Amino acid sequence: MTRWESQENPLPFLFLVGLAGWFVPGGGYLLQKETVRALIIFVTIALTFCLGLYIGSIGTIDPIGARPWYFAQIMNSPLVAIIGHFTATGGYPVYARPNEMGQIYTSTAGLLNLLCIVNSVYLAYLRRTKPMEQ
Amino acid sequence: MFEFAAIVMADFTAPEEIRTNPQSLLLLLPLVVAIAVVYKATKLPRITAGNFLKESVVLFCSIVVFMLITALVLSGVAWLVIK
Repeated sequence: MTRWESQENPLPFLFLVGLAGWFVPGGGYLLQKETVRALIIFVTIALTFCLGLYIGSIGTIDPIGARPWYFAQIMNSPLVAIIGHFTATGGYPVYARPNEMGQIYTSTAGLLNLLCIVNSVYLAYLRRTKPMEQ
Repeated sequence: MFEFAAIVMADFTAPEEIRTNPQSLLLLLPLVVAIAVVYKATKLPRITAGNFLKESVVLFCSIVVFMLITALVLSGVAWLVIK
């Protein structure tokens, strides 16, 4: 099994990449100068999330009544918590099929962003380290 | 400009009407497109327009075909159980 060694401590940069990817979908790749990849990911995840909000309204983000879905939705960006703050009062009720579809779209967008965060951190780790000589 | 922004924002405060009919299954397709595009964007070592499009379309078709096969099998099982 190949062992890897780092030229410098990569943890702060990895943390920054993960944080950037969470705040803005594709942000982790942008920090690594992967502009095209970052752009594709940003546009796709933002469109999927917005489509979910359009179908089910912002009421689909429900931090009280649908907590498990909310954990997946907040993976899109911490800004989702702002929407959650407004909808927590129950002022935007949504039920049945639109609610289901909205939750599925917004949560899938969040889980896709989680995949991108993990992948961008792993990519940054590989670039900051080199194989250790046996 | 402000009015336009307000109208756009208002669209996101009321849900759309979606009926429970076979056509509503088509809402699956944009989601599959998103999954195929994002997955391929993370996996391809180098992104070129042609290669990326080809890979995404192949993955999209694979997912849709697999779901169709699954639906057919489940329908068959349900038909057998009812019969």
